[in-house]
Amino acid sequence: MVDDDVLGSHRQELRRGTIVLACLMALRAPEYGYALLKRLDVAGIPSDGNTIYPLLRRLEERGLLESEWNTDESRPRKFYRTSATGTDLARQLLTDMTKLTASLHGLNGGTKR
Amino acid sequence: MTLMTERYLAVVLRSIPERQRADVDRELRSSIADAVEDRVAAGEDRPGAERAVLEGLGEPSRLAAGYTGRPLYLIGPEFYPAYRDVLLKLVAVVMPIVAVALTVVELAGGVSYVDALLAGFGAAISTGVHVAFWVTLFFMFLERAEVTREARTEMANATGRWTVDRLPEEGSHRVGAGETVGEVLTTMLTIGGLLFLRDLSWVTRADGEVVPLFDPALTTFWFPVLAAILALMALIQVVVYMAGRWTITLASGYTILQLAFAVPVVTLALRGTLINPTFAAEVGWPPLAAGDGLVMLALAAVVTFVSAWEIFDAFRRARRAHRTQRAVAAGQIVSQ
Repeated sequence: MVDDDVLGSHRQELRRGTIVLACLMALRAPEYGYALLKRLDVAGIPSDGNTIYPLLRRLEERGLLESEWNTDESRPRKFYRTSATGTDLARQLLTDMTKLTASLHGLNGGTKR
Repeated sequence: MTLMTERYLAVVLRSIPERQRADVDRELRSSIADAVEDRVAAGEDRPGAERAVLEGLGEPSRLAAGYTGRPLYLIGPEFYPAYRDVLLKLVAVVMPIVAVALTVVELAGGVSYVDALLAGFGAAISTGVHVAFWVTLFFMFLERAEVTREARTEMANATGRWTVDRLPEEGSHRVGAGETVGEVLTTMLTIGGLLFLRDLSWVTRADGEVVPLFDPALTTFWFPVLAAILALMALIQVVVYMAGRWTITLASGYTILQLAFAVPVVTLALRGTLINPTFAAEVGWPPLAAGDGLVMLALAAVVTFVSAWEIFDAFRRARRAHRTQRAVAAGQIVSQ
């Protein structure tokens, strides 16, 4: 049985590497911070506000996201949307991710034989 | 928004740069409110929901660091090897020197062997603590300073794509640790010398008052300034070591500092305002302080020469390092 601490820390490492990709993919439809957090959670990619909120800003600074304030509703919200560059990056990263998953499955099959 | 959230936001925003502050404030406020509303809608009481949301966001200074990208450590992995190197070498060189020097001075002053040894040992310890403190402060600054960007990139280039060709060889222009330690040590000794000279005098007037060697008006302003410039020079030496070599940018910065040091010193010497005239009169040799006297002319000449050499040397080494790199990049074998 794997120690819970060990599992937890390795899981965290694994997720840290994929959270940028998850944000870039999810934000092809504009969304504000808290709603994105919930959407990722529902999609099975749980994260925290203290990870996502600063990350959105950093991705925006690098031009991978665009943002706009929506003040139509009672509470003003900052909506983020993946930019063209961001979409390109997401596409490439997703390809890599798929290849990586296939490779890992390949390795897994290799040990069974 | 209740007081709890306001207090939380105040701590987060404190360390966020002015230009982003309002935006981060507005966004965090709405994010917190959204999360609280969600919990309340699920049946939690409002104060409990707010507390849970804020605790979920975690320590405010950590959240702020996420926004600013500022490190939450003193010295990171990029600088740590150099930090350890410089610190250990400096301490290993300086402490024994101080111990021996002070013991000898004390013995010459006629105290017992035990007292002299104790004095030397004590001075060595306190010097070691000082060196450790200043070196740490230095690197802490390097870790955070914008000016080290270039050095970081160069370090990344030097360490990131490592090939066997990068192994140091005879005659390569890589700046070594020993050299850097020597340069930094010299600069530190000069600073120490400046601060020591400031209070130095062996001349007392008939009424018992001490006549200082340097113009007192000078020592209050110029000495700290010159010491600060020297400290910056030492900083550049460390950056050069981190980068592995001199670059034109670094040499330019070094030139500015050299000029900032040499021009005032030479000007003061030639104007005759460096040495206290009263001191010169008291020792019975007025030309000592005079701007056109032999001593001041010699001092001005030496300072000019040393600065000019340092500037020339920095640029020469930057150019050589550049050429070596180009040669290595072109695949030529570099051996001299």
